Amino acid sequence: MSSIFEVKNLKFKYKNNQENVLKGINFDIKEGEIFGFLGPSGAGKSTTQKVIIKILEDYQGQILYKQKDLKDYKQDFFEDIGVSFEMPIHFSKMTAIENINFFQNLYKKKADVEKLMKRVGLWEDKDKMVAEYSKGMKIRLNIVRALLNSPTMLFLDEPTNGLDPSNAKILKDLIREFKNSGGTVFITSHIMSDIDQLCDRVAFIVNGEIKEIDTPRNLKIRYGQRQVKVEYRDNNKLIEKSFSMENLGNNNEFMEILKAKDIETIHSGETTLEDIFIKVTGVTLDDEQ
Amino acid sequence: MMNNRLIYLIKGELIRLHKYKVTSVSFLIALIWLIVLYFVDGNIFNDLLPLLILVDSTMMSLMYIGSVMFFEKKESTMSSMLVTPARNSELILAKILSNTIHNLLSTALIIIVFVIVKNVEVNYILIFLAIVFSTLYHTTIGLLLSYYQKDFTTMLMTVMMISFLLLIPAVLFSINVLKSDIWEYILLINPIQAANEIISQSFKPINLDWKYYFSFLYLVISGLFIYKFLVLKQFKNYAISISGV
Ligand SMILES: Nc1ncnc2c1ncn2[C@@H]1O[C@H](COP(=O)(O)OP(=O)(O)OP(=O)(O)O)[C@@H](O)[C@H]1O
Ligand SMILES: [Mg+2]
Repeated sequence: MSSIFEVKNLKFKYKNNQENVLKGINFDIKEGEIFGFLGPSGAGKSTTQKVIIKILEDYQGQILYKQKDLKDYKQDFFEDIGVSFEMPIHFSKMTAIENINFFQNLYKKKADVEKLMKRVGLWEDKDKMVAEYSKGMKIRLNIVRALLNSPTMLFLDEPTNGLDPSNAKILKDLIREFKNSGGTVFITSHIMSDIDQLCDRVAFIVNGEIKEIDTPRNLKIRYGQRQVKVEYRDNNKLIEKSFSMENLGNNNEFMEILKAKDIETIHSGETTLEDIFIKVTGVTLDDEQ
Repeated sequence: MMNNRLIYLIKGELIRLHKYKVTSVSFLIALIWLIVLYFVDGNIFNDLLPLLILVDSTMMSLMYIGSVMFFEKKESTMSSMLVTPARNSELILAKILSNTIHNLLSTALIIIVFVIVKNVEVNYILIFLAIVFSTLYHTTIGLLLSYYQKDFTTMLMTVMMISFLLLIPAVLFSINVLKSDIWEYILLINPIQAANEIISQSFKPINLDWKYYFSFLYLVISGLFIYKFLVLKQFKNYAISISGV
């Protein structure tokens, strides 16, 4: 798979700040994948998104989009991409459909708005003022906004933040469908379960530096303590023990417990992305203090 | 230079001026002026009308664009515009031109009414040009000022202060309180005085002097300069700073 984005040694500093917010990060986004960008608050996720969508321009390093320097793209770059920012943004004194139509007419390519709005459950409320929308509705409208030009690449900053589980599911399905139809997605989040379900690869960013990039599966294997946890009763006392999964069948203590004891629970301890997140990001947070 | 997207953006801005009730406010103000002026008698009226048009196309231009930019800031909508194919120059021109058109309409309303009711004698082409260029210029300045204002109150205060600072000498001069020749030259670099010149010389009897041409050129040239080197150049930084995302 070829890369749609290549980011090389990217550094970025906000004007009023002393220090670089992004401290020389490297990653690429493959065509057709969902690439997750994870990190604690203030790590530089939104900043990275804003740099690679050409909003923040005074960066150091190199960014290639479709093998061409991002700086060589003009405003028509935006024909190609769809963006959803962290906060929902609309004209509050216009209706949802007026908002969507206004923006859509600025693009050459146009998606089927009715279909999209039905999909996220907003078609019924399309003639309501956005001011009367709930937060979740505004977030859903944000997604419609990001998709209204049938982009080839989608950038989503914390898209499920503030959505109830069923709407979050609709959104995740929408993102998957977008991928299945050939689209590429860059998504930032700190909701690990979403990322785990959606992303082909994830990057962990901590304090402006990328600490890990891999598939969720590989990360779990690498960081996972493949263990089995057993709880059993012994003389009416509850005892808990963990065993490595390696060669478990030959572990005598484990086998003895299985044979002789009254087992209450038994779990295989698969590491979640959340555990890995804490492991990868926690280290640096400790160092800071 | 005029392309379809720019026209589309201007239309969008005008619709929003209407939806956000800016249009209603400006027509209400025009109505109040109309009523006040209607009861003013002959001699004063002839001085007051050009003055009113001056205030409308300078101070009010600053105010309107200031409040529009404030609404925009509150809703962070600028960031949505930044990720569309629309160019920065188109976004800015749409703002400036829509506000100019909007202000032109309310000013035109006043003039038309008085042409009909009080037989005011005015050269239509000259007054049209005068209002358009004064409004364009001051809207551009207002946009630039809004880049530096953190909230609505400071914005209003700044606009008030600047316009009074520039407006009062211009008014004092035109009612002959400031008399000497030196003032005549000093005031030439005051854009409100320039607007004053081109507006007042549009009323009959027409007798365009060098100050008219100077003022006109001054507004056009310095206006272009401010647009290109200040407003356009600083736009993106400003838009990002208010995008709040
Ligand atoms: N406009 C700005 N001016 C100055 N500093 C900024 C600006 N925006 C962000 N920062 C700083 O840059 C750093 C990274 O911010 P960023 O918004 O990219 O973090 P994030 O990873 O998206 O965090 P969150 O999960 O809270 O959204 C933070 O230290 C933040 O204070
Ligand atoms: Mg963020």
